[in-house]
Amino acid sequence: MPKPNSINRELRKFLSPLLTGERSFTYNEAVEIREARLRARVNEIARFYDEKGRMPSFSEIGEMAGLRSKNAVSKLVTRLKELKVLEKDEKGRLIPKSLSSPVKVMGTVEAGWPSPAEEELLDTLSLDELLIQNREATFMLKVTGDSMSGAGILPGDMVLVDKHLTAKNGDIIIAEVDGQWTMKYLKKRGDSVALLPANPKYAPIKPKSELRIAGVVTAVIRKYK
Amino acid sequence: MQSQPLTIHSWPRAILHLDADAFFASCEQAINPKLKGKPVITGKERGIVAAASYEAKARGIERGMRLFEVKKLCPEAIMLPSDYETYSLFSLRMFEILRRFSPIVEEYSIDEAFVDLTGLRRSFHGPYGLIAQKIQETIETELGLSVSAGLSLTKVLAKIGSKHRKPHGLTLIPGRDIHLHLKSLPVEKVWGIGPNTAAFLNKLGIRTALEFARKDENFIKKYFSKPFRETWDELNGRSVYPVTTESKSDYQSICKSKTFTPPSADKTFVYAQLSKNLENACIKARRYHLAAKRLTLFLRKQDFRDEGLEIRLSSPTAYPSQLFDALRRGFERVWRPGTLYRASGVIMAGLVPERNVQYTLFDNVARIERTARVYGAVDSLSRKYGKHTVMHASSLPTKIQAQHEGERGDTPHRKTNLFKGENRRQRLGVPMMDIEV
Repeated sequence: MPKPNSINRELRKFLSPLLTGERSFTYNEAVEIREARLRARVNEIARFYDEKGRMPSFSEIGEMAGLRSKNAVSKLVTRLKELKVLEKDEKGRLIPKSLSSPVKVMGTVEAGWPSPAEEELLDTLSLDELLIQNREATFMLKVTGDSMSGAGILPGDMVLVDKHLTAKNGDIIIAEVDGQWTMKYLKKRGDSVALLPANPKYAPIKPKSELRIAGVVTAVIRKYK
Repeated sequence: MQSQPLTIHSWPRAILHLDADAFFASCEQAINPKLKGKPVITGKERGIVAAASYEAKARGIERGMRLFEVKKLCPEAIMLPSDYETYSLFSLRMFEILRRFSPIVEEYSIDEAFVDLTGLRRSFHGPYGLIAQKIQETIETELGLSVSAGLSLTKVLAKIGSKHRKPHGLTLIPGRDIHLHLKSLPVEKVWGIGPNTAAFLNKLGIRTALEFARKDENFIKKYFSKPFRETWDELNGRSVYPVTTESKSDYQSICKSKTFTPPSADKTFVYAQLSKNLENACIKARRYHLAAKRLTLFLRKQDFRDEGLEIRLSSPTAYPSQLFDALRRGFERVWRPGTLYRASGVIMAGLVPERNVQYTLFDNVARIERTARVYGAVDSLSRKYGKHTVMHASSLPTKIQAQHEGERGDTPHRKTNLFKGENRRQRLGVPMMDIEV
């Protein structure tokens, strides 16, 4: 049975709320605070690198993070290495790996006895990466009409258009039909092609002469605030 | 003898020169497909043609033409204000596409690139010509831009190739065909040979590029300096200039100048423009952590002649507050009342890394350190809220009076068509299509 004064200070933090019955509240808060502090420290280091053109030394990191002992800094650096934010080169110097703090995809938290849980950092995707596959071929378009309102695309929305993808049956495309530009569902069955709206006010379009496809709509974005 | 090839090697190196056709106008046609096939010109806010689409060129419209001339020649020409933000996005994307094919891409200008394709036949399982074609097609499909390309053994030859057939041309010049391409090419059309050298060559009886290339080494050494010897080597298929990938990390000098329309004889306004040039130059110097030892200021008159002077600084700096004194005194020396000026500019030269700056006994180090902190704060604010969030008062008149006045003072469509979350200064780095759906 471990002696009380050799119990990890952090574990004690969780033991006491357990006794008072406020367990889950304090646990989440502790994780949030830790994460926010870590993110703030990463931002500080990123700013340093951006301004000075080099990575800070251990003592400079200590200064920025408000850590007095080299040991504490060393622990922080190890943590950052685990998170793949930075790494050491062959000479043992710090080099940045990824200093932009993307939104983290949190791993599952183990239920049951709460050990000081480590957030499981899975591969992180930024919003850019999530929304844009072919960067050079992606354009944006502000929607003015309501012919696709049934598909959830409303006037004022932004749609992302990918010129690299080949339009398939069921895709929403931006196309020029008989001289007019429009955004519709593509219905392709063998050789026959039709453009379908998502609004009963509009009739389907059967191209008479020309159908030119400018791109495939891959996402719709609407900001509320 | 005349019909003998210049070199027996077909492809010791394969260098591609890519040149976008009527770039600015083509970008406008790419984001607004309704403009395709129509005469489009950009540069409306300046009152002159900055770029003209091929359809416009076919109607006789040329770069530099005034807008009223355009209206006379081609009343249905569509005149648009310049949208540099969109053009820059297209340019970056074009270079990114090139980098998919080869890591050795040199961004020569906003719409030109060199790509080293040597050795890639293996990975693409095809001849160099096919790779070049694929590049052209990819840019056309993904960006909607048409580019012309020249593929040859050297940069000089590749450039000759890309100019050979425009628009949407692809010209291959393998070693054994070089002489065929140079035979009827006037020598002044060669990259690196300007009108003066061409005149000199003409006096020596050399009129075509082939004649120049066929001269022997002793002749070239006798009459020409190193750069022209290098051009001669390149014309002969011997690659001297490699395709360089380094982005600018170091500068010899930083020049910031801006033209203002209409031209002005207002002393306060012109000084404000010059002051803003200086702030911009300093911002760039600070961004690359450089400090300047020499400062040149100049004013350009209507006849395109510049008047200015160079000031040597006691210690290198990138802080405007330390330079305004010299700038003002220089300006007073150059300024001629009653003269209409069309542009002002500043050149910061003798650039050294800022951390190498040593202070002398006479420098007020405390004041300099404080100045450094002030500009550190200014730069942070610029990063957060945009460039020129904080400006020196002397530059303020530029904010009040538009850069280019008159009904031509249009803003590009992109800047007025904002999405939620965007503002006047900051917009998404994705080109916006101008289609109504």
